[in-house]
Amino acid sequence: MAVSVGGSSEYNSEINVTPMVDVMLVLLIIFMIVTPLLQSGVSVNLPRDMISPDEDGDITKDTSVIVAIPDNNNFYIGKEQFPLTELGEIIKRRMEGKTPEKRIVYIKSGVEVDYGRVVSAIETIRKQDIDKIGLVADRKKGVEKPG
Amino acid sequence: MGMSTGGGDGAKPQINVTPLIDVLLVLLIIFMVITPLKPSRFEAKVPAEPKDELQVNVKPNPLTLVVAINKETKGITLNNEPFGDVSDTEKLENRLREIFKERENNGVFRENTNEVEKTIFLKSPKSVRYGEVVKVIDAAKTAGASPIGLQIDDLTE
Repeated sequence: MAVSVGGSSEYNSEINVTPMVDVMLVLLIIFMIVTPLLQSGVSVNLPRDMISPDEDGDITKDTSVIVAIPDNNNFYIGKEQFPLTELGEIIKRRMEGKTPEKRIVYIKSGVEVDYGRVVSAIETIRKQDIDKIGLVADRKKGVEKPG
Repeated sequence: MGMSTGGGDGAKPQINVTPLIDVLLVLLIIFMVITPLKPSRFEAKVPAEPKDELQVNVKPNPLTLVVAINKETKGITLNNEPFGDVSDTEKLENRLREIFKERENNGVFRENTNEVEKTIFLKSPKSVRYGEVVKVIDAAKTAGASPIGLQIDDLTE
């Protein structure tokens, strides 16, 4: 990034952008660090490279209910861990006053979890009069949804 | 990235924008990487809890497609016919696509509606990994199945 100004009798009228670049890089690093922290909930090894899941912006909304099952022993809603027996109460409370179309509970389950654990969570959810489940999965990059 | 101002008369004021562009490009790339991480999900339906009362009026639907996973062999069956296994869901996908196409051509509708019946039910033993179940759901969804129902009663271990 050398800049050479030829001649000796000229003014060097360059703006020194180095501090600006410094500041921007620092901002960049700050955002890189903050972004993962902003993620709500626990980290789950979601199913990846799926071809056909539908995008749903509601998943990231604060009002939607997401049950996270990172492993065979734990159930989380948000960042808090709950035993299976209490799950129903909390879902019921969070679902109060939602319109029928919005009565959907999202499940973020790790791929290594036994299906039986997921089913037991779904069973609890079903008891709250909810028949729609959103199974959160990552879509394969660069694949457009077929037809 | 050098820039030289040749001699001559008068100063030529020029801003060196190269570092700025560098930073902006990096930002752009970062956002491009982040954007595809938009969340997505499979919508699945769960049948209502079975009541103890006898359900006399329920008649089995001949159009129902039941996809089941075998616990030991990880094989997939569609209405008891084998179609590949969880590591190769293509067979199932192709077969489902065929069935739906046939139904579209023949105008096989869901009862009392004019939508083509594309409901499938998924039945999997409890010990199967969730990841494998989702793979099967993905294949069914890719073939066009909707809605996808999860059977959660009376599952084997």
